[in-house]
Amino acid sequence: MVTSTGPSRRIVLAGLGGAALAAPALTPASAQPVVLRWWSPQTAPAQREAYNFQIRTFQEANPGVTVNFEATSDEGYPAQMAAAFASGQVPNVVTHLPSFAVSQYWANNLLEPFNSVIDAIGPANFFEGANRIYEVAPGQFAGTGIGGSAANMMWLRQDLMREAGVTEVPRTWDQLRDACRRMQRGPVFGAPLPYARNSMTSLIFICFVHGAGGSIFTPDLQVNVENDAFRNALEFYKSMREFCPPGATNYSWGDSLTAFVSGATATGIYTGRVLANVATQNPRIASSVTCHMYPTISAATPHWTFNDFPSVMIPKGASNIEMTRRFAAHLFRADGYIRQLHAAPGHVLPVLRPIYESAEYQANPLIQANRPAVQLMSQAASAGHNLGWETTRHRPNVRAGQIVASHVFAEAVQRFVSNNEPIATVVSDVARRLEQLMRA
Amino acid sequence: MATNPLDRRYALLGAVLIAPTILIFSAVIIYPLVSAIYLSLFTIFTPTLRGQWVGLGNYAELMASNEFWRSLANTFIWTVFTLTLQIVLGIAVALMLHQNMVFRSLARSLILFPYFVSTVVAVLVWRWLFNDLYGILNYLALISGLLQRPLDWLGSMPNAMISIVLVGAWKYFPFVVIAVLARLQSIPDQLYEAAKMDGAGPIARFFDVTLPQLKEVLVVVILLRAIWDFKEFDLIYLLTGGGPVISTQTLPLMVYKEAFGLNDMGRASAIAVSMMLVMLVFMVLYLRSAGRSEREGAR
Repeated sequence: MVTSTGPSRRIVLAGLGGAALAAPALTPASAQPVVLRWWSPQTAPAQREAYNFQIRTFQEANPGVTVNFEATSDEGYPAQMAAAFASGQVPNVVTHLPSFAVSQYWANNLLEPFNSVIDAIGPANFFEGANRIYEVAPGQFAGTGIGGSAANMMWLRQDLMREAGVTEVPRTWDQLRDACRRMQRGPVFGAPLPYARNSMTSLIFICFVHGAGGSIFTPDLQVNVENDAFRNALEFYKSMREFCPPGATNYSWGDSLTAFVSGATATGIYTGRVLANVATQNPRIASSVTCHMYPTISAATPHWTFNDFPSVMIPKGASNIEMTRRFAAHLFRADGYIRQLHAAPGHVLPVLRPIYESAEYQANPLIQANRPAVQLMSQAASAGHNLGWETTRHRPNVRAGQIVASHVFAEAVQRFVSNNEPIATVVSDVARRLEQLMRA
Repeated sequence: MATNPLDRRYALLGAVLIAPTILIFSAVIIYPLVSAIYLSLFTIFTPTLRGQWVGLGNYAELMASNEFWRSLANTFIWTVFTLTLQIVLGIAVALMLHQNMVFRSLARSLILFPYFVSTVVAVLVWRWLFNDLYGILNYLALISGLLQRPLDWLGSMPNAMISIVLVGAWKYFPFVVIAVLARLQSIPDQLYEAAKMDGAGPIARFFDVTLPQLKEVLVVVILLRAIWDFKEFDLIYLLTGGGPVISTQTLPLMVYKEAFGLNDMGRASAIAVSMMLVMLVFMVLYLRSAGRSEREGAR
């Protein structure tokens, strides 16, 4: 367990080496004007401000270098990256894409090795095991994490629980359904689960499969969906439909978040971004909001956290490669990195222990006011997995990105929940399509 | 063959003068067309553009794919219904704007607004209008007692298809208005006066005078809009993403999914080539119509 006390800012800066100090060891700066392109799907205004600060400090430390930030999106990045690779017009640094994107691109020889950047940041500064998911061969790293996330935390409105006579935080699916049933009244719905044809529905459903004690693939990546766990996850998803707003059939991350933050639902399912959004958009409910692990099918079934392991990678063919590596390392310099993390406290969690333990990081008012929630999310994220690495026993799945983009899970949810198709047909179709995608 | 040196020089000059056109035509039409057909004969991993020859394998898979046929059917449903609405709305509004009315110029300008506004902006606005919790459409329906609970406009069928058809009609009917209004202004008044003298009422004048006069322009407008609607992507993708399941997935959305979601550029190209063949029918109709109009005009 991590603690909130730690070294001073000076020690943190010294410990990390500050990329601007450490990175010049890579190579001297070029005298020619250099333009670097930085892509990220995390583009909330506060995050953009933090990025601008990081860009400014890097440009000041490296005269003649210009860094341009370009936004991508969670749904749109596969197309943009594919087009960039195909055209040879790749960005220099890409951040915040899920770890399975890194695996996929590395498997197709589309990324630069990342070891030198990790060396510049300082391998010892990372939380233990933080880079394991990026270690594509012993000692060989394809990228690194810029943060952690706990995407399927359950957010609860304590005031609504009290009004409805719900005394305990739901631990199982039955208890969650009961709580939602009792809290759903008037304009307030029970939950904002997505039932759309998008990546959020797919990722939440994967969480439910694990919450039912199953997995999508076996550890050696054989399709593993024709079983009770998968069927129970579908049944649970369907049983929650009556507690979700009618428009949940078109919900993505933003809609689901807004539904909870605005007070339209009694529970939420999201990362720590809830904290910042409640504080700024609906402070009236801030004191009533608590964070918990999402329930599972039974108390005996362990929680499973979806951590997409927001990454940093350098596409192969990126121009000015040494300056690019220096910039990638610069993103972890304490002053800028903490600003970036504070832009959405609890949403992107630090991967560097000195940063997490620093007084500066912990000094953020939202983190201070929600210390138990942030600690819980940090613990959950550090034990988290995703479709690219379902459990510690699983081999990395380089097809995970394509599987999510195929909407095979989201369509299964829609067919079973909205179209009332027989579960056996839906499950066997999922199995067949997964087999095809894994063979492709 | 020209034997006279002067003729040869003229022939050479002709070739030189037409060369830029041929080069541009080759670069923007022939090359992409041949590339698409060529790519469709391979399985190609999009990011690397490397792949293997499969011949007509992609086409055979498509013919056996329910998703392809369902997407093709969706494309036709979307095209036919949104186009019909565009034409009906476009003619109605054009007739209205052709009347003497207060602020006619302002109205003519404002009516073009949907056509000129960015699709992304338009879709964002419509998504808010359709929103189940905060949308004005559900709000009005609820307070007026039309609905007991919010309607799911974009996430269930047939609502999703109806919604995209309505938004598509709203977005593109101004094009019909522009074309029809221009033609209306050139219909001779004598035709209406003669019809009136023959005892024709407003409805009869519309069907016996206005509509026949609009026929030529409508043929062109319908064919152009049919081609454009057939390959519509952004509006549908942003509104429903093709869902629920694949109920509003049209062929362009399927091309996008195959090319960039599943990284199979070969299969995506095969779908695109199939789309092109269907659109070829529209083009042939268009060219025949244009040719007939020219011949009639020449007489």
